[in-house]
Amino acid sequence: MTISLAVSDVLVARAKTGDLEALEGLYRAFETPVYNLARRILKNAEDAEDVLQETFLEVVKSIGAYRGDGHLWGWVRQIAASKALMKIRRENVRAADEFDETTGAGSPAPLVGVNLDLERALEHLSETGRAVVWMHDVEGYTHEEIAEMMGKTVSFSKSQLARSHARLRKLLAVEAEA
Amino acid sequence: MTHCTMDDLLALRANEGSVWARKHLEACELCRSELEALYQRVAQLKALPARSPARDRWAEIRGTVVAERHRKRRRWAAWSMAAAAGIAGVLVFNPFSPPPAKADLAQVKAQSAALDIQLQAPEAEGRVVSGRDAALIAQLEDQIAQIDGQLANQQAAQMDAQLELWQQRVHLMNQLVQVRVVRASYVGL
Repeated sequence: MTISLAVSDVLVARAKTGDLEALEGLYRAFETPVYNLARRILKNAEDAEDVLQETFLEVVKSIGAYRGDGHLWGWVRQIAASKALMKIRRENVRAADEFDETTGAGSPAPLVGVNLDLERALEHLSETGRAVVWMHDVEGYTHEEIAEMMGKTVSFSKSQLARSHARLRKLLAVEAEA
Repeated sequence: MTHCTMDDLLALRANEGSVWARKHLEACELCRSELEALYQRVAQLKALPARSPARDRWAEIRGTVVAERHRKRRRWAAWSMAAAAGIAGVLVFNPFSPPPAKADLAQVKAQSAALDIQLQAPEAEGRVVSGRDAALIAQLEDQIAQIDGQLANQQAAQMDAQLELWQQRVHLMNQLVQVRVVRASYVGL
């Protein structure tokens, strides 16, 4: 996923004054990465679109408080991740974890499947597990940051990551055999 | 033979693997391939294509923002009007203004002064009046002079008594204006 996330300071300054055109500019710049993050974490597209909307309403509301510390995308992403995780908590749609605690090490490692297989395997993870995998492995959040955002412990985040990878490995092995 | 668990592999990937796991990895080809598969899986996760929303949500976001701004403006306007009404209320029913008797006294004095000015106007002074009206004018002027004398002797503290005298004076002045201005002009016609 390579998307340009560069946003001019002028655009940000205009957005801070409440200029709707500038705010739309920010929306256009971050629409896809925000939606992608939400969609990777949440089970369905509608929820991800809701997160996209809620995130930008929050951006519009709080852009005045953005001090310019760090990349704007980091700030927007933090809002989006929080909204997505809140949705998971609020709706309590976490599927019962059926993870295999073991890695299955001892048998040959399966080939890692093609994109479609990985996409499908991701969808078989619980929302919490998928959120941890995506935020840790793709977005680069630390376990400490994930734990804080989820209101859980660091060991919870670590354990979710391990269980989710074990599950992915198993699912991809099935795909490869099929 | 005990192999690395997924926890061990993730710890190794984060360079936080235990001494045992690191040693085991050197000796175990299967665990090395598991670790390699883990790296590949993460690389593929990062390479997944970005998903875009099926529909443009900006129109809804913009609509919500504009509606919220209007709501805020209306709230602000309502608040401003309430504040203005409050200020007007304070001005009208000024709690810091003199007590009612004092306020009434000032008002009556003002009325009296206005009637004095009206009577001193040149058009009131030079009117032709009937003999009966002249007698009435003289009587009213005497009564007013009496009241003025009483007012001169009144203590400032006796506010109610002063108010009553000033009210009587205004009443007499009104009658005097009636006779000297209104009736006289009628006669003039």
